Amino acid sequence: MTSRRDFFKLAGVAGGAVAAASVSRVAMAALPEPVIQTSPDTMAPLVPNSGRPYNPVVTLNGWTLPWRMNQGVKEFHLVAEPVVREMAPGFKAHLWGYNGQSPGPTLEVVEGDRVRIFVTNKLPEHTSIHWHGQRLPNGMDGVAGLNQPAIQPGKTFVYEFVARRPGTFMYHPHADEMTQMAMGMMGFWVTHPKVKNPLIDEVQRDFCFLLNAFDIDPGSYTPKIMTMLDFNLWSWNSRIFPGIDSLNVRLNDKVRIRIGNLTMTNHPIHLHGHEFLVTGTDGGPTPKSTRWYEVTTDVAVGQMRQVEFLADEEGDWAFHCHKSHHTMNAMGHNLPTLIGVDHRGLSKKINNLIPDYMVMGERGMADMTEMEMPIPDNTAPMMTGEGPFGSVEMGGMFSVLKVRRDQKPGDYKDPGWFKHPEGTVAHEYEGPLSEPARFKAEGGQSMPRAQTPSQPTEVKVRKPQSHSGH
Amino acid sequence: MRRTLQSSGARLAISAVTLAVLSGCASVSLEQNVSRVNDEASSFTEKKLALSRTEQERKERADAAQALLTQPLGQREAVQLALVNSPSLQALLAQGWAESADAAQIGRIANPIFSYERMVAGDELEIGRALSFGLLDLLTLPTRQGISRYRIEQSQLRLTSEVVDQVTQVRQAWVRAVAAQQTLRYARQVYESAEATSEIARRMQAAGNFSRISRAREQAFYADAATRLATANHQATATREELVRRLGLDEAQAPLLKLPERLPDLPKQAMDPQTAGSYATRNRLDIRLAQTNFEAYAKSQGLTTVTSLTDIELTARRNTKTDSATGSRSDPRGYEIGVRLPIFDWGGMQRDAMSARTLAAANQLEATIRAAGSSLRESYSGYRTAYDVARHHRDEVVPLRKVISDENQLRYNGMIIGVFELLADARDQVNTVIAAINTEQQFWLADAALQASLIGRPTSTTLSAAAPPSGAAAAGH
Ligand SMILES: [Cu+2]
Repeated sequence: MTSRRDFFKLAGVAGGAVAAASVSRVAMAALPEPVIQTSPDTMAPLVPNSGRPYNPVVTLNGWTLPWRMNQGVKEFHLVAEPVVREMAPGFKAHLWGYNGQSPGPTLEVVEGDRVRIFVTNKLPEHTSIHWHGQRLPNGMDGVAGLNQPAIQPGKTFVYEFVARRPGTFMYHPHADEMTQMAMGMMGFWVTHPKVKNPLIDEVQRDFCFLLNAFDIDPGSYTPKIMTMLDFNLWSWNSRIFPGIDSLNVRLNDKVRIRIGNLTMTNHPIHLHGHEFLVTGTDGGPTPKSTRWYEVTTDVAVGQMRQVEFLADEEGDWAFHCHKSHHTMNAMGHNLPTLIGVDHRGLSKKINNLIPDYMVMGERGMADMTEMEMPIPDNTAPMMTGEGPFGSVEMGGMFSVLKVRRDQKPGDYKDPGWFKHPEGTVAHEYEGPLSEPARFKAEGGQSMPRAQTPSQPTEVKVRKPQSHSGH
Repeated sequence: MRRTLQSSGARLAISAVTLAVLSGCASVSLEQNVSRVNDEASSFTEKKLALSRTEQERKERADAAQALLTQPLGQREAVQLALVNSPSLQALLAQGWAESADAAQIGRIANPIFSYERMVAGDELEIGRALSFGLLDLLTLPTRQGISRYRIEQSQLRLTSEVVDQVTQVRQAWVRAVAAQQTLRYARQVYESAEATSEIARRMQAAGNFSRISRAREQAFYADAATRLATANHQATATREELVRRLGLDEAQAPLLKLPERLPDLPKQAMDPQTAGSYATRNRLDIRLAQTNFEAYAKSQGLTTVTSLTDIELTARRNTKTDSATGSRSDPRGYEIGVRLPIFDWGGMQRDAMSARTLAAANQLEATIRAAGSSLRESYSGYRTAYDVARHHRDEVVPLRKVISDENQLRYNGMIIGVFELLADARDQVNTVIAAINTEQQFWLADAALQASLIGRPTSTTLSAAAPPSGAAAAGH
């Protein structure tokens, strides 16, 4: 990475991105200089200074690729290359991506733009790019072998087509696809409408991110590319909580969020405190008659969803995948449940053999966030994230929508924790407690059971106790 | 006449004295034997070997043994204890003494025979006196003394070899006992881990988190571990008792025997082949034993050539003849030579046997010389391999296992693996330590064998492959 970094010089565009050095300028005289991003932070929207105007999007923990206009054609330069992506503070992954990051930069164009994209392959194997969801000439669709020869290492290919349809798209390789997507190669594409479209509303905030998943063995850096379902890192734009930036908006902003799914399973994406409408898919804007309010939308594999809502409730609202395993970081999926298993007398015995052993899971998994214990190097803890009231006990696909009255228009800075108005936070009840009367079920089962268990089931509940014993 | 007789009697007496002196050269004492062993095998005995014959000596030995038993017994101390305490070593010394005394006997001349004859024939009374001795016996005395010296030498070398053997066995028994005791400690840890696992599984089933089969699986391992612990327990007892026997401890001493916690550290460097080779050539007990055997036979071969053919008996005779009728008396004197006639046995068989034995001894010597290098190389290879394997375990296998354990602990902390995997891994680690102890044990056994081989008592070592950590299969769940 370092030697390649030396190859490019700082360009100062898009918040710390760097452009190709003069050495390569000779070699690639006809190409736009590739711009490289070194930071995993969410970059401010790239307001267009050439071409047709549009309202730019904000890529969560990402950036938009600058372009150059060349005789009316919008020219981008993507460089496919190995990258080191910080997936969360203190946890880095060796991935493949574009222009310094995984996922690659967002490409933003306007309906009707003629777009020319140079793709340079700096990977050790061939690649190609498929422009997911676009209307384009068949030879530009990017399926290696079917539509074009694969781009060999060191080669540059050029794609050129007109962005015919406004909407939300993505790009990813279509050569050794399994490997290259498991390694993090993907990016977002947004085509803004040229003129006012009755199905596309004006919004004040427009966020986008891709859902992706990795299987990185705790203590290692490179994803296991053969994994099919048992991923251990569920990420948005190759970031995991608490590494995912919050979505900061001004009260009463109309907000659009565009989500694409390049994992191998579906993700029910859920927003607290507001209802949203699904206003678009990879097929384009949805007809108004098909829209209904909901708080969770399932983004199936290979799909895109565009949701819109009015951010009219102040506060810090959780925004996450509703598959609870997807709001966890690296963890074992084959651990026995220890809830309710009394460890008295056992811990000492085990400590004789394993001095650092501590009982975990006897009360549930929250122990994990309460005990500061060393874990393998380069591993994000399974549940983490300190909120204003303690640990959020989350990981993976989790972020926060921050709605603030005093957020400036166009300002995406994190406003900090929400200051709740007096009396609006749940609190401990301090009055008298009376023993609840147990409700006796009136009805029976729909059908009686043929065999009755030999012993009646009895649930033993252990009273909450102090943690001092652990 | 009388005077002459007297003088000839005196001459005989002088000869007898001379013979006694001559044969004295071939006599051997217990002290000689013991100090010989102590000199030859000083690296083994540290010159502390002694046979006690008096109550005082026995008490001194008992006191020395008692002093050695107050501390945990190192390998060196175990050898010292065996030297002062073991009745079988004492028996060995006594036997060696007997053997060399027998050998010394060969170098002595047979006692002369005095015969007295009284014969009456009518009036005649004849009294004959004769002092006879084997002439060849006398003539071959120097040769026989030579043979005797070789035989004594041989018996002493054999004694030394046997002492080396015994000491080697003490060393090896000590190594086995210490290793078994060390292994037992770790087997107990495996057992405890299995016990904890089984107990968690039981409580998990009680809490409703585990099915009967899952619990049974964990408990099955516990049952196995109990068997293995029992075996390890017996092994520790058996090897300790083996050592008790080698040390010759009595009922009162045996309970006092304390062993160190662990085997000694491996030497920083293994003995290099040059050093081992330089010991080998000369002075090896086995070669010298074969050499003296051959020389003794060779020496006696010349002798047999003579003695098998003839046995000449020289007799000095003085008779007294009295005739009571005439009152006459005469004293005839003279000598008699008796020769065994080689009519039936020309001694061919004896000579054949003798030359065959000499030939055998010569070839035996050659075979011993040829085998010496080879057996030493084998011993050295056993030693060197055991050293390298033990070091590999110490420097590679155990640290790697430790890394795995440390990482597993971190993984457990991160809830990437569960408690059963952690415990299974702990068992694996303990088994690796047991395997490492096994390799150390093999090294010290091979070391003792090499020491014996170097001095010329070829001892082979069988190296067994270190057992892979068992319980690896159990790590899956
Ligand atoms: Cu999900």
